[in-house]
Amino acid sequence: MLIEINALTNELPALAGTGTVELCERLAGLGFPVDGVETEGETTVLEVDVTANRGDAQSHRGLARDLAAKLGAQLSPLTHPVLGEGEPLVPIRLEAGDAAPFYATAVMELGKAGSTPGPVRALLAAMGAGAKGLPAVDASNELLHRYGHPTHAFDADKLHGGITVRWARAGETLVTLDGVERKLTEKDLLIADDAGPIGLAGTMGGDATKVSARTKRVLLESAYFDARTVRAMAHRHGLHTDASARYGRGADPGFARVARDILAQRLQAWCGARLQSAWSVGAVPEPGPEIPLSWAMLDRVAGYAIDHEVALAFLRSLGCSVREDGAGLLARSPSWRHDLALPDDLAEEVLRLGGYEAIPAALPPLDCAPVALAPDYLKRRKLALRLANLGFLQTVTLGFTDPMEAKDGHGIGDRPELRTLRNPLGEDYSVMRGTLLRDLARVARLNLERGAREVRFFEIAPVFEAHPGQPLRETWSLGLVWGGEVGGEDPLSTGRRMGQPEGQSHLIGVLKAIGVGDADIHAFGRWQIASWESGAKEPAGWQFEIPLAAIPDEPERIIPRFVPFSRFPVVERDLSLLVDLGQPYDALREALAAALAAAPLQDLKCVDVFRHKSLPRGRQAWLMRLRFQAMDRTLTGEEVDGWMVQALAAAKSLGAERRS
Amino acid sequence: MELPLLPPEIADAQRDFPGALSACADLDALMRLKGAFVGREGSHAQRLMELLKAAPKEHKRELGATVNALKNQWEEALKGRQADLELERQRGAALAHAWDPDLPPPLPPMGALHPLNRLMDRMVDVFRPLGYHVEEGPEAETEGHNFDGLNIPQDHPARGSADTFYFKEQDGLLLRTHTSPVQVRVLRRIGARGADGVSELERSGGIRFLAPGRVYRKDEIDPTHSPMFHQVEGMIVGKGIGMHHLKGTLAYAMKALFGPGADVRFRPSYFPFVEPGAEMDVRCPLCGGSGCRVCKGSGWVELLGAGLLHPNILTMAGIDPGVWSGFAFGMGVERTAMMVSQTPDLRLFFENDQRFLRTMGGLD
Repeated sequence: MLIEINALTNELPALAGTGTVELCERLAGLGFPVDGVETEGETTVLEVDVTANRGDAQSHRGLARDLAAKLGAQLSPLTHPVLGEGEPLVPIRLEAGDAAPFYATAVMELGKAGSTPGPVRALLAAMGAGAKGLPAVDASNELLHRYGHPTHAFDADKLHGGITVRWARAGETLVTLDGVERKLTEKDLLIADDAGPIGLAGTMGGDATKVSARTKRVLLESAYFDARTVRAMAHRHGLHTDASARYGRGADPGFARVARDILAQRLQAWCGARLQSAWSVGAVPEPGPEIPLSWAMLDRVAGYAIDHEVALAFLRSLGCSVREDGAGLLARSPSWRHDLALPDDLAEEVLRLGGYEAIPAALPPLDCAPVALAPDYLKRRKLALRLANLGFLQTVTLGFTDPMEAKDGHGIGDRPELRTLRNPLGEDYSVMRGTLLRDLARVARLNLERGAREVRFFEIAPVFEAHPGQPLRETWSLGLVWGGEVGGEDPLSTGRRMGQPEGQSHLIGVLKAIGVGDADIHAFGRWQIASWESGAKEPAGWQFEIPLAAIPDEPERIIPRFVPFSRFPVVERDLSLLVDLGQPYDALREALAAALAAAPLQDLKCVDVFRHKSLPRGRQAWLMRLRFQAMDRTLTGEEVDGWMVQALAAAKSLGAERRS
Repeated sequence: MELPLLPPEIADAQRDFPGALSACADLDALMRLKGAFVGREGSHAQRLMELLKAAPKEHKRELGATVNALKNQWEEALKGRQADLELERQRGAALAHAWDPDLPPPLPPMGALHPLNRLMDRMVDVFRPLGYHVEEGPEAETEGHNFDGLNIPQDHPARGSADTFYFKEQDGLLLRTHTSPVQVRVLRRIGARGADGVSELERSGGIRFLAPGRVYRKDEIDPTHSPMFHQVEGMIVGKGIGMHHLKGTLAYAMKALFGPGADVRFRPSYFPFVEPGAEMDVRCPLCGGSGCRVCKGSGWVELLGAGLLHPNILTMAGIDPGVWSGFAFGMGVERTAMMVSQTPDLRLFFENDQRFLRTMGGLD
């Protein structure tokens, strides 16, 4: 909302001489932070952020009222003659119950000449819309910005018969002031005459009855409409006007008559208008019940003992009628404060005027039982750190995908329509992803295009599963991609393109490093050759995705259980084997381990693979390294020789032979 | 030296000696030259000794002096050259084994955690010593958890399909627009009474947690908006919780996150699920408070929204607001990350260029 500082000072003379920065700090301290400051000549306009609960603060006087309460200063008195109410010139009927309980009006004959005074034109210009040059319209707009109460002027000679405030009937239409024809619904609150709709209540007037330069007589409207009704109407028609913003957040029913009187006074003063009659129908809603606030609660909320007299004075200065009552106070909120309903609301008002800077800072006592971090959360954090330590970069992608994902068969589950959004940003963002692999491939491709030689990324995020007959499910997933040139980012390595079998085995190595067992890799894992380079002979890399549930939990211990180790010497022997190309490594390793089940074998693995044309056709050389170590004695050369013979025999049973 | 009595081959050798000496590139060549001049057999020195033996008596004295002078000259020169070559060899050997310590080591490339995850992890680490644990909820949420349970009015514009993503074919299922539905889930859980008539809240005496996570709003992607972003929510429920506790907790956390000099202000605000409501602003890190594009001239940047739990929120979860009270706060992760890092464009966080991830990420 825009506020012009001179107009604000008009309402609260105590502000005179206050610097702009100080004023901004004061407003922020009351809950109205300033989002922007524009100065042009003598005029400084603030863009003030008014929260949705404070309809009453959407005007110069509204903000001045809060500042006055804070400063202990007086608002300028409103000087206007109170109109004597007389006979209705046209019948006015209120048929919408609580949605429109009160309607004040007056009919005035406009003088021949007249214009909007310069200072008012300047204020309206500062408010962004500018003066229209029609005193009735400009006066209504001035009132809105200065006092926050929306009013409207109809061309009285264009009205047909009486005025009814009623719900619209299906099929009715209205051309509003902006020239748009609105199709009305039964939820729209209307101002209508005997010929049909002439305005959307509290939102926008109708085009047919608008005031023009030729208007001779005006019918003024200053009413009270229900906030929720106006809010819904403005939303339905996409018609967010200055009036609907104020009625929609709660106008002041107590000010409706006053606003009419001020409007009439302006027209008399600006263009010699003559009052024909002023009258009103309905009743201003009764104020709400008294709200209790105990001193104990106030002290608890504030965290410090607030002087009772100060608290009473604060609430009075905001317009509440307040009395002490036993161990607390009872307050009735003023007609403009629709947001005060609970003791908590009163406590906030006291704290607000006292200033949040006066609240002491304290930590709550640590009196509840400690709760461990959830295993799933810890697992994700440790996993991410482990993968980062293995040289992978963590990515975060948005999570939207397009319907092709399901057609490509990447997502989990076979009812992708359950993952589809009703109101997406666009087709490419219309489905919640069922896999991380597409996003990771896209990130890998982007980085390779931008000159990266090796790409290693992972993402840990939920993916959406849609199975028939089941509700939408979210499961945490780990996706990983490794591609480009292996060692391409290593300064001393020439880097080489990742071959297909090598890539897969590299990723299996990564999965084993994070604790995934062989069986789970095959049972849960989903492989994909990263195919982001079309037409390339070799795949550009490999991708893998596995549900987090398939990654084992770490035991919940501060320090793991002690595992004893040998203090006797270790014996290491190499066994160089010629094996068939295509020999499964795991089978060979398991055969050797099984043959040495009785031996104190500590470790057994292939440490070198050699393939060369000098080897027999169809064969390759594997250098197996075996480590023996007993817990209770030093091993002898003879017994190790014996185990090596057994190992060779086991290898031979799979068709391998010793390489001489 | 005049050598009238020397044979011509010796004279030639003597003439060529300096050139041959400097032509020796290594010790082997020098040893061969040494053998040819002063070796025990077949050398020029040997030959001179033979000449001396055979020379007439009256010439022996003069010739002897000449021969000795020649031998001494050769031996001296060879020794000097040998010392030079040995030094050269040592230097060469040292260079062959030396390694320039400034050459890059063959370490594998470093990985990194994503900066947004780092910031969320840091938040958890800051609040952990204060007794907070982590609670989580789904991203596909019900209107009940995302709006109703948070006291958000039925006609609130945030519920509209212009602001919130809704799923097809599943009434009321949406992508959560904030992490606050986790509050609702936790409150309902701890407020529910078991068979013994006692709630988890009554048994534990209170709860405090953070809820970090992904949230969605229907914003087009631009330098300051994204349809997916992250929030960290915090909540505490206990007895006698007041605004001073909220202020103290946030002040502590902001110092832990932004350093002891962090200049923050605590001011009134409004959210439907808290009362009193508050916001915390931090002095604009770009301009230091003098006013700029980032803070829109105000000198302050909004950091988080907070407040005491609205009694309706507690009541809806079956918790008596006359007994229990608490506070909640919510912080935008991207906004904070952009502010502390002065990253100019939100989209960089989701583009995942490895140059960005390497410089902005880390391993803690």
